[in-house]
Amino acid sequence: MTVKMEASAGKLSEKTLMIYGIVVALVGIYLTQINGFTGVAVFSFFGGIGAIAALWWGSDTIKHLCSYGLGTGVPSAGMVAFGAGAIAMIAGTKFNLIIPFVGISLVPIVTLILAALIGAVIGYIANNIINMNIPVMIFSLTKLSIVGALTMLGFGAMCTGTFSFNGLVTGGLSLQMEPAAQAAANGAQMFTVTVIPEFAGSLIGGATLAVIFFLGAMALQHPFNACLGPNEQQDRTLMLALEVGFLSMIVVAVMSYAFLDIVSATIGLIVALIGWIYTYKQYIALSKRDAYEWLDAKPIKEVGGDQ
Amino acid sequence: MEEIVLGIGITALAGALATVAGAAEDTESDIGSQGDPNSQVQLAPQMGYIHRIFNKAVSGEPPAYGAWCVIGAGVAWALMQINYNPALAIILGSVIAVFVQGIYCTSGYLGRIASLAKFQQPVYIDIIKSLTPVTMAHAFVAIFCTVAMCYLMASVLHHPFALPLLGLVWGIALGAAGSATGNPFYGKERQYQNQKFGAGVPISASGNIVRYAEAGQRSSLDNGWFTTKFAGPASGICFGLIVFLELWRTILFEELLNGWGAIIIGIILILVFTLIDRWVEKWGRRTYGPYTSEEASS
Repeated sequence: MTVKMEASAGKLSEKTLMIYGIVVALVGIYLTQINGFTGVAVFSFFGGIGAIAALWWGSDTIKHLCSYGLGTGVPSAGMVAFGAGAIAMIAGTKFNLIIPFVGISLVPIVTLILAALIGAVIGYIANNIINMNIPVMIFSLTKLSIVGALTMLGFGAMCTGTFSFNGLVTGGLSLQMEPAAQAAANGAQMFTVTVIPEFAGSLIGGATLAVIFFLGAMALQHPFNACLGPNEQQDRTLMLALEVGFLSMIVVAVMSYAFLDIVSATIGLIVALIGWIYTYKQYIALSKRDAYEWLDAKPIKEVGGDQ
Repeated sequence: MEEIVLGIGITALAGALATVAGAAEDTESDIGSQGDPNSQVQLAPQMGYIHRIFNKAVSGEPPAYGAWCVIGAGVAWALMQINYNPALAIILGSVIAVFVQGIYCTSGYLGRIASLAKFQQPVYIDIIKSLTPVTMAHAFVAIFCTVAMCYLMASVLHHPFALPLLGLVWGIALGAAGSATGNPFYGKERQYQNQKFGAGVPISASGNIVRYAEAGQRSSLDNGWFTTKFAGPASGICFGLIVFLELWRTILFEELLNGWGAIIIGIILILVFTLIDRWVEKWGRRTYGPYTSEEASS
């Protein structure tokens, strides 16, 4: 299991990707906080951009982890990343405290730290207790679980406009009125109004988080899984990561119609569509560049074999 | 009593939907070449066998169908939250899920084939143009039937899970049923029809998949001709039975022994199927025996 296969050495080093990924993801997620200051939800789509940055970085991490002979393990790596990330993300959203003087929430930072801890524990178990003995295992799973947590936080914030736990479990509020007492003098009635939060219509209560989980996990594993082979090129794989990221963002934008106003959700959808069309075209162009030949309705060209 | 009759009706309907979904799912994954048989398609150019088979490298069928069905169910759920008609919401959800599936298929084919340039495997762009719509159509049937079935469970049978979660669970079950039941027909039968019957697949034949037809060349669409007849119905029956028996035991026996009735019946069903499987296996081995070459048997 410890035979190292070739992973294309790209122009961008792992460290560069990690710094860009974390910074853009955190900035994107924090920008959704402007929703809270301004009272409109049009800044939600920044969460999606942050999530895509995390996926972009994560797809390269998967490449380095899976170059240790884990051919069929590529999709599993995506799932384990999001499994670890889900715990960190849900726990992290409980820390919705505003840092004094800076004015930003603790949630993304706490989520990142929790994800790193959980990922390190899972990596230790896989490497030292199950004895998979892959040198980069612990650090890779730490990074992947951060990717999973930040992606879910970003897409969750894009979908609902907030990343606080209460915002994610409360779908809406309904008012219940009960007659309380009758004022004797003029017959006017008094009511007690109880506010009942609706949990079933929320991101977590309605299990929309499951959709985000799978959108993210597929988008994280797909770039390297699709592009693996002797002629894998880093720029093509990373372009595919952006493409599937924007594709996931389209679905999140459609689902956000259930939580946000029409204008904010439509802005998210348009940003996602533009990004997806651009990156998909680029990806096809890069595939054309790397392909041996690009043929339309031509027969098989034999190079060997028996026939 | 009326509730039970309604429940049985929904059970039958859900079973029928699941049968259609299973058949469509397996046909889709065989035409797209997904799951374990795809490893041979991936290997073929490396062994010198250039081919015109779709190479849909997305992931195994269970996670892939978990993803498509959860997208379909999630979007349908979101649209129902803003008061769309359920039928319309399920259709729109399935359309978006199929869109995502189609894009994943094309990027998987382009990525894998472009990375095989070293072995002189060209990208046949007509494969994408002609086969992607076919797989998308089958995937639409599979996703729509599964999400509709989940909606029946959530709204009529009052399942405690939300619709997207049901979509996820049953999507994974659908992919697993299609992968386990249908793939042997494609991977072990169709891809190796050029080997001696019953010979198994020797290591020396790795990657030597069927690439030529009686006249002309085969694409994955021809594999669909074969698997629609054999693998599709088998997967359909498998997934239909899973859904039907699962709901049937819950509807009829849930009241018994504080809910333990349904669990006991479930265990009995597993035992019955284990015995049937064992009997079929023993019968097969007794009747056909180990493989003997033609000289030895004559």
